[in-house]
Amino acid sequence: MRIRGVSGSIAAAGLAVLLAACSSGTNGSGGDGAGGATQAARTGPVTLQFWCWSAGQKEKVAAFNKAHPDIQVRHTDAGGGTDTAAKLLTASRAGNAPDATCLEYQTLPAMIVAGALADISAHTGDIKDAFTPEVWSLTSFDGAVYGVPQDVGPMVMVYNKKRFDELKIEPPKTWRDFAAVAADVRKKDPDAYLATFAPAEFGNFAGLAQQAGSSWWKIEGDTWTVGIADGPSMQVAAFWQDLIDKDLVKAQPLLTPEWNNQLNKGNILSWPSALWAPGVLYGIAEKQAGDWAIAPLPQWTEGDDRVAFQGGSAIAVTKNSKHVQAAATFAKWMNTDKTAYDLQIAAGEYPASLAGQQATTESEPPKLVSGQKDYWQVAAQIAKRTIPHISWGPNVGTAQSAYQDAMAAAVRDKTPLVDALKKTQQVVVDDMKTTGFKVAGS
Amino acid sequence: MTGPDGARRGSRAPYLFVAPAVLLFLAFLAIPIGYALYLSLRGLRLTGGGIFGTRQEVFVGLDNYARTLADPDFLAGFGRLALYGLISVPLTLGPALLFALLLDYAGARGRRFARTAIFLPYAIPGVTASLLWGFMYLPSTSPFSYLTQELGLGEIPFLTGGGIYPSLANIAVWGGVGFNMIIIFTSLRGIPAELSDAARIDGASEWRIAWHVKIPLVAPALVLTGLFALIGTLQVYGEPTTLKPMTPEISGVWVPLMHIYTSAFSRDDLPLASAASVILAVGTLVVSVVLLKVTQKRAFGGMS
Repeated sequence: MRIRGVSGSIAAAGLAVLLAACSSGTNGSGGDGAGGATQAARTGPVTLQFWCWSAGQKEKVAAFNKAHPDIQVRHTDAGGGTDTAAKLLTASRAGNAPDATCLEYQTLPAMIVAGALADISAHTGDIKDAFTPEVWSLTSFDGAVYGVPQDVGPMVMVYNKKRFDELKIEPPKTWRDFAAVAADVRKKDPDAYLATFAPAEFGNFAGLAQQAGSSWWKIEGDTWTVGIADGPSMQVAAFWQDLIDKDLVKAQPLLTPEWNNQLNKGNILSWPSALWAPGVLYGIAEKQAGDWAIAPLPQWTEGDDRVAFQGGSAIAVTKNSKHVQAAATFAKWMNTDKTAYDLQIAAGEYPASLAGQQATTESEPPKLVSGQKDYWQVAAQIAKRTIPHISWGPNVGTAQSAYQDAMAAAVRDKTPLVDALKKTQQVVVDDMKTTGFKVAGS
Repeated sequence: MTGPDGARRGSRAPYLFVAPAVLLFLAFLAIPIGYALYLSLRGLRLTGGGIFGTRQEVFVGLDNYARTLADPDFLAGFGRLALYGLISVPLTLGPALLFALLLDYAGARGRRFARTAIFLPYAIPGVTASLLWGFMYLPSTSPFSYLTQELGLGEIPFLTGGGIYPSLANIAVWGGVGFNMIIIFTSLRGIPAELSDAARIDGASEWRIAWHVKIPLVAPALVLTGLFALIGTLQVYGEPTTLKPMTPEISGVWVPLMHIYTSAFSRDDLPLASAASVILAVGTLVVSVVLLKVTQKRAFGGMS
């Protein structure tokens, strides 16, 4: 009797677990719930699911919902750019991707090849001119439009002006100057470096290589060309190699406790990165608010002023969505409406739209660079001269992880950076061939 | 339940009772494993459609296994595991046994405090422990490197070169000794006091009692902890992943599980990750069976 009672209760517990698992399963498939809700509310508003990680989204979505009684958007933060991309691929294959999502520009081709995104060109005719052609080309491929640009990161050099003034140095205009200033810094303060070279900064290096004239992926007809180890890329790698070998820049990962500590001590004087950098640095070096400023990124040829983008994101509509038009309306409003870009600027993002960029010139500079009164004017000037159409490929994720591992190994083993680029190129080409892409010249 | 026959109902009862366990086993073990095996034979390949084409899931046979086994990074991961395991397994089990014996020694003082103190690190989540140690390893935040620098010896290369292995193993040892000590200690408490008393009357020293009486009797517990430590080594993931942003020494494919994660979520190749997972799981199984076979005679032979 006793034993029966025990096993009976175990069985009951087991069933309870099973039931719980089943019921959570039904609740968990949010797509069904949302679909049901919208169907039931055919007379009421359409409900959209929306994923985005960046700051200010909650406020923007609330403003959108207020302005659109017939479309109600539910916002979820699904994690940063890389995480969101990985989750979107999984959700898309399972058939329950959100209606709209933020995506980094570099992940768009991979999403298109995975068949995750809807072409919204039928709905975007009226907003194309709200962006510069360079920015618009970030989300449009061959006439198809796979998202509305949200924020952009034109590359700039962020530098600690206070320390620059102390050491009596000026922001370099060319990369040759950059090397000279780096040497000068080492002479004047042996603890300090002008900059660091971070082996994990894939997007940063891609931007620098693009500025030098490289094109990492290109497609003609159905044949791809991969240029990760092309001439200009190799030139950029050789440039940094020389600086590392001469101990003029320090090769170390970015934004680690170690790096942050050195930055706070005033031993890292600049960060060649993009317009979002002041926000990032303020998060780790609040005490240096007002000490920093931005300058145009150094150039390979004196007098040039073109720079690439680093980072930035668009809002895309997914193929899983049953409300493509409503989702497109949402994506457009979020990135072109005045209420939206005002909130976006307040959250510290640099808008992709021309009107948004214009609006920044009337706002206060970010706290880290509060001393630079013409910050937004400098930013707008730089943003106007970005290189059209960075070409990302269908396997940027593979490229990124291969690049990071190869570069880290090169820095660690003191082997040439150019070899790391060649290795990355090989991995990327092999991966594309395995998948079935035609790749030229290999 | 529908039949009026009491005997028939009785014969169904056992099936009803095992049904929940069987269902849970099917739902959460057998089906996922089966799906992983199925996925490992699939691959995402380009088909027409869309501006760049679209990747579709197709059957690719053993291609994923061939690619995984031919990948030097994946195999190198096992080499790193071996090095890491050579340091961490003995250093976890040795002190765990020593502490358990000391706690079991009747003359020891402050036993309750010592037991809690040794066990406490196990209660710290692995990621927290890794971050905590990470800060203590980084040159500009490390108290150890601060001391050596003050003494003019330069910083300690915790996170560079070969230093990464002892540094990582240290985190595992720090967290694992307490847990293993409790298992061995519990086993020691199960030894009848007469055995030690008899040895003591025969004039054996405490060392001899430990060596000839206690350790042979807790051998099953030692095998168990050894097996746990070995499987734990094969499944190392959290510590290196947490330290990865702090050092170029750790790549995204440093150990097999990191390799699997990178394949699945950075390279978007779930089938390849499935194949690698199957290989890792089979490897773990083989190692476990071999360890049990080798030790079974010695550990359990006299008991049954």
